[in-house]
Amino acid sequence: MTTVWAGLATGAIYSLIAIGYNVVLLASGTFNFAHAQLLMVGTFLAYAGAVTFGLPVVVTVLFAAAGVGVVALLEERIAIRPLLGRSDAHGALITTVGAATILDGLAAAIWGRQPLTVPSGLPDRPLELLGGTVRPVDLVLIALTLLLGVGLHLWSRYSLLGLASLASAEDRQAASARGINVRLLGVGAFVLAGVIAGAFGLLVGARTYATFDLGHALSLFGFVAIAIGGSGSQLGGLIGGFATGLIYAFAARYIGAAYPQLVIFGVFLLILFLRPRGLFGSALERRV
Amino acid sequence: MTALIHRYRPLIAVLLVALLMAAPGVGLINAYWSRTVMLIAILSLLVSGLNVVLGYAGELAVGQVALYAVGAYVAAYLGVEFGATNVLLALGAATAAAVVVGLVTGIPGLRLGGWALAMVTFFLVTLIPNLVDILHSFTGGTLGLAAAVPTLFGLEITGNRLYVLILLVTAGWFAMARNLLLSRHGDIFLVLRQSPILASVLGVSVYRLKLLAYVIGAIPAALAGALFAMIDGFIAPETFTFALALSVLAASVVGGSTSVYGAIAGAAVMQLGQQTFTQFQDWQLVIYGAFLLLAGVIFNRGLAGIAHDGLAAARRRGWLPTLPSASATITARHGHDPAAGASASAGLDRLNGAVLRTEGLSKSFGGNKALRDVSIEAHPGEVTALIGPNGSGKTTLLNLISGFYKPSGGSLVLDDEQIGGRPPYRIARLGVTRTFQTPLIPKHMSTLAFVATGRYVTHRVGIAAAVLRLPVFRRGYAADNAEALRLLRWLGIEDVAGRPVDSLALGTRRLVEVARALASGPRVFLFDEVGSGLDESDLVVLERAIEKIRQAGGTVILVEHNFPLVLKLADRIHVLSQGALIASGTSAEIQADRRVLAEYTGATDHESPAENPEPEPAGRSAAPKGAQ
Repeated sequence: MTTVWAGLATGAIYSLIAIGYNVVLLASGTFNFAHAQLLMVGTFLAYAGAVTFGLPVVVTVLFAAAGVGVVALLEERIAIRPLLGRSDAHGALITTVGAATILDGLAAAIWGRQPLTVPSGLPDRPLELLGGTVRPVDLVLIALTLLLGVGLHLWSRYSLLGLASLASAEDRQAASARGINVRLLGVGAFVLAGVIAGAFGLLVGARTYATFDLGHALSLFGFVAIAIGGSGSQLGGLIGGFATGLIYAFAARYIGAAYPQLVIFGVFLLILFLRPRGLFGSALERRV
Repeated sequence: MTALIHRYRPLIAVLLVALLMAAPGVGLINAYWSRTVMLIAILSLLVSGLNVVLGYAGELAVGQVALYAVGAYVAAYLGVEFGATNVLLALGAATAAAVVVGLVTGIPGLRLGGWALAMVTFFLVTLIPNLVDILHSFTGGTLGLAAAVPTLFGLEITGNRLYVLILLVTAGWFAMARNLLLSRHGDIFLVLRQSPILASVLGVSVYRLKLLAYVIGAIPAALAGALFAMIDGFIAPETFTFALALSVLAASVVGGSTSVYGAIAGAAVMQLGQQTFTQFQDWQLVIYGAFLLLAGVIFNRGLAGIAHDGLAAARRRGWLPTLPSASATITARHGHDPAAGASASAGLDRLNGAVLRTEGLSKSFGGNKALRDVSIEAHPGEVTALIGPNGSGKTTLLNLISGFYKPSGGSLVLDDEQIGGRPPYRIARLGVTRTFQTPLIPKHMSTLAFVATGRYVTHRVGIAAAVLRLPVFRRGYAADNAEALRLLRWLGIEDVAGRPVDSLALGTRRLVEVARALASGPRVFLFDEVGSGLDESDLVVLERAIEKIRQAGGTVILVEHNFPLVLKLADRIHVLSQGALIASGTSAEIQADRRVLAEYTGATDHESPAENPEPEPAGRSAAPKGAQ
């Protein structure tokens, strides 16, 4: 059961990445490779708030959320907006990978290459729960991620803004003809994704430490979560993330420490091969 | 003088490479610089592989580093374990291993392409340390693996010999890459990059072509790995990092992804930057990222693009002699060849048209029935027109015929052969060709080359022939160009043969698409709103072209809004409305049909449109202005 808890806590982080990908994907149809780096920046800002400035927990969370929101806004402005209206399919890959790399490099230059401990402000003593041990911070992380994922899912399905965002991802021109401010919606999605990543910086940092290369592995596992859940499905991403975390934890526990990434890669390839639209997605046909 | 330079350009390149090879031996460059040159050569191999996949085929396969590691470990392991230190064996084994790994990882990733492929390949790079650790009995784990001294014909390949070997392999690869990319194969990669749909209409299996590009891109990466293992005689997982993958990507976009030699420029910038600036190590990630961002946003053709534009500008201002344009060269050649000149004026060869029949064909998307129970028949030597308001299912029907949609019901028969549900490229290979409502036009290609891609499958010249520039390649290439030029001339647009095809106006693009469709010598033509957006003179050319295709025995299916054009050309007209066939008949019959008029013009019976013998207002407004 301890393995299950560990898997769920790791999975929560993957779910967070998948949710962040989906927020932007649903609103603007762009895949933001740098989202995991936004979460990485969040962990550093949480460190800066809690340790460097000695701020209280709530203020630290707000500080990190606002800070990453601004970073996300900048990223949208520099790496995404100049490409809007271009036909080249992989322009956004190049620029968001570029943005991600710059964030990695800046974090390494500012905070160094050694992992930093982020204090969560929660008691450190592990709890006994359902026959396993789990740290309070992990429990909170799991619970809040679940809440966020389900909340965003309901919001995107039932609120007017959520539906507008679905419409604009489907067809930007048609959506803007219906009076939806497509550009504002896209920017808003980036900022929202950034704010969420920043707000979770403290909890994630408390589990993983703040390190400059946190983003590499997370971006890939977040994508595996999307592959499992089907792109654009918040609920799918949430479940996919937890599933990926559980696979990771069990592979590490029962096969060996060098294997979990390999096992997840295998699962990833299998899903791409058998269910390219994800386990929760449906097949689409090509159009001319 | 210009002609001389052109004639001997390959020779000049060979001389330059030879000079560079001799440089350390005669004391022109010291050990530091010879090592730098070797590292640039190796990096440029990696970048070149990426350019084939990313720049030409447009696939986001960014895991060159994984294949680099495969090449290095395979070569080193052979030497250490079996004493097989022969460099040719090492290079061959590395290539074979890269092809295998490329196939295994490419097959699932390429099925989706796009982001999924990018992630699979990035993932592969992050797996290297784990794999090295798991396979530590082969790889030496995190401690690394000391490679044996490479040999060739009993000579130890170290120092200067290794330097020459690395330059030879690199030069050899670039010569092959150049020959491959500057051939129909490179052109078809560019078509794939622009539009997989267009590639499949040309009869190309998109999936196999992607896999081909991916596997070809794996080869230089593995060669680079094997060579790298020879330089240091030691390999460890720290070499094969995510940061290296990023630097390869950055070098590719800096040099210009869609170019052959841009890889060398990009690799040189990266390698020299890294060695020259001590600050580079601290800021390398920021620098790579900034390069990617800048290249992606501002100069997305890289150094190669800048050089290309600079040369073109210098030629315009007369600082450099101008190149003879492709069409001029070919025209000049044909000037001496009376037979070719005669065939140009003769028009079309006989086309072997086929009967195309749909029987109760239906298509639904979810609950929406886009096409219901449509039965039509198109015969060789006839023009069959499909008309109907927007959304009536005309393009859906064309998409079913060319295989982009699978029928929900009914059958599709070409000369008694059931073709419904086959993949588009198979249907194209049976001789069904089409044009598009919005012409699909690739970038970085001349009009002549684009028209010639129509012959890629029907008059195929193999990859080996292209790489080695065998006589069969030269003959095939010349025949493709001659035929493409003949078709362009036939359509009256030979003057655009040498222009970049994506610079043409819409009307000319439509005519170019017709030429491209004709180039394969097809049996069935599907023209999707081929007349819309054409001005009067282009329309006359088009009308004549369709007429000639009919006379030559081709089967023509025409989807068109221009009613007068349809009336003039069509032998038989089918009217679709809301997915169903509401009328079929000759021009006269359709003109007299009240239901058609009601549906097609919005006219109602009590306005008694039958009193008006002329085409209805909608038709008149679309007619050429001069007719009024």
